[in-house]
Amino acid sequence: MKLFTHYSRINFLASILALALGSVSYYFIIRTVLIHQLDDTLKVEEAEILNYVRLKDQLPEPANYRDQQIAFEPADKAVERQFQHISRRDPYRNNERGPFRQLLFPVSAGGRVYTVSVRKSEVETEEMLQWIMFVTAGMILLLLGILFLANRLLIRRLWQPFYQTLEALKKFNLTNREPLHHAPTSIREFQDLQRVVDHMTGTIRKDYEMLKEFADNASHEMQTPLAIINSKLDLMIQDQGLEERHLRQLQAMYDAVSRMRQLNQSLLLLTKIENHQFVQAGPVALDTLISEKLVQLEDLIQDKHLTLRVGLQPCLVQMNAYLSDILLSNLLVNAIRHNEEKGAINIQLGPHELRISNTGVPLPFDPASIFDRFTKSSQSEGTGLGLAIVRQICDNYGFSLSYVNGDGWHTIRIGFTPEYHG
Amino acid sequence: MKLLIVEDEKALSDSISSYLEQESFVCDQAETYMGALAKIEQYDYDCILLDINLQDGNGLELLKELKSNHKGDGVLIISARNSLEDKVSGLKLGADDYLPKPFHLSELGARVAAIIRRRHSAGSNFIRLADILIDIQARAVMVDSRPLDLTRKEYQLLLYFAYNKGRVVSKNAIAEHLWGDDTGAMDNYDFIYTHIKNLRRKLVEAGAGDYIQSVYGMGYKLQVP
Repeated sequence: MKLFTHYSRINFLASILALALGSVSYYFIIRTVLIHQLDDTLKVEEAEILNYVRLKDQLPEPANYRDQQIAFEPADKAVERQFQHISRRDPYRNNERGPFRQLLFPVSAGGRVYTVSVRKSEVETEEMLQWIMFVTAGMILLLLGILFLANRLLIRRLWQPFYQTLEALKKFNLTNREPLHHAPTSIREFQDLQRVVDHMTGTIRKDYEMLKEFADNASHEMQTPLAIINSKLDLMIQDQGLEERHLRQLQAMYDAVSRMRQLNQSLLLLTKIENHQFVQAGPVALDTLISEKLVQLEDLIQDKHLTLRVGLQPCLVQMNAYLSDILLSNLLVNAIRHNEEKGAINIQLGPHELRISNTGVPLPFDPASIFDRFTKSSQSEGTGLGLAIVRQICDNYGFSLSYVNGDGWHTIRIGFTPEYHG
Repeated sequence: MKLLIVEDEKALSDSISSYLEQESFVCDQAETYMGALAKIEQYDYDCILLDINLQDGNGLELLKELKSNHKGDGVLIISARNSLEDKVSGLKLGADDYLPKPFHLSELGARVAAIIRRRHSAGSNFIRLADILIDIQARAVMVDSRPLDLTRKEYQLLLYFAYNKGRVVSKNAIAEHLWGDDTGAMDNYDFIYTHIKNLRRKLVEAGAGDYIQSVYGMGYKLQVP
């Protein structure tokens, strides 16, 4: 539920409750006041009648006016003085039944006891009360409406900085160095929030940069020792006195150094791609590039006796030439390296997508992690970074990348987005 | 032929020096920017191997110095930073080639030999290995003046051996030189064997000696009498 909905719901319920309680008590108070006024008029009439009887010792003429009726009735004993609500026909209102306020009191005149009733119609009071209630109800509705609109506008505006910060956080990207964009605000809580968010993202970015720099530096620093080991190996194999068993060990060392070097270079490359250090882009004809790559890799394909099926349609993609080379190299070398003896490779390039399939044993790891760093089978001589580099390149250019397997085939599909078509 | 190795890692510098000295190069070594500057001012070199990251300065500055003095020395940059910018700026400043660390000494030997060959204009388009003659300009090989038909890979292989003649070249170095870095850590190198076998067969059939020897399956060596 949105903050505004939540807030207005509570606000609304509270307002309605308060206004309802207020209206009810208002109704009773007004009513009591009005009845009290009515009673006052009746009391004035009582006083007049009592005064008249005391002076003349006889009853005044019963007088019926439109809004006030006086009646005398002989009684056996003095009635108790009391105010009453009664309902009776009103001769002045087409004999309809209507509410009346009546004051009963005893009076003695000419040695006899009478019960005097002074009545006044309550219809007018009721009408007045109704009008008052109508006006009040109108006011309440108006108030609620204005409150709703005001809240809506106010909350929208008040929370604007919050929503903007939230939006900025949603778009937050570690590899993007742009600072978060906040709306200017004078509200302290939001200022605090923005400060904290800025501080936090700043720290995260700094840590990330440091980590990346560390990986970068470590890889670079390793190049020289590797160069020394490699050069010493190159010198050592010149030695005529070496025996086969020594050379076999040297070969293992060579292979290890080669892998180390490749690992290093792949890590450095990955960092560079992540840092968007390959900015220059131009139209790359993938069909031509694939043909070239296949010539380059011909020996590796023949060596494993792989059957090659290739379907190439013209496909121009807007990207960095070096990265396109890396992308295809990695995909093709991957398809060769993880293939089985006498296996097959199927390469299909359409105007908007590239599919590279190869036969091979099922993955010994979770297929979902195939593009993760250092995901590889334990037998593989590869670095485990080839497909991670592929993913990073695709991420940079917004290409879609997916992997499926079935029937002994592993297929990697890349979809090129229209905006990157040359 | 005189070379200057500007490299602050003594161990690496020594390796390079002893590898290249086998090919009758005379190698001078400098470990610092100032030391290199002094040597450059004093002598003329056929090729200078230049590390970019020196403790007391940038190798690229040294390159600028060299070019502003109109020295004809060939320059091969060796750098631990395999960065495109370094490569581009180095080549722009007049370096002949760029080799990222780590490298195989045989690769370095081939690059140095190529630079020196290009720098010496006259008569350097041919390499003679006993009865084999390689015409680099025409990318052709002749045995006893008869042209020999080689594939591109076989030609590259022969040239690589020629540049490193008399020395054992590892299979890893061959694979990386001919098939690119991707292949440096392939599961096996049988594909190299096929090409070498074909090259040897063609050479022998053309009447040349069988100069390429296998060294216990770990590398090959071209030895001419």
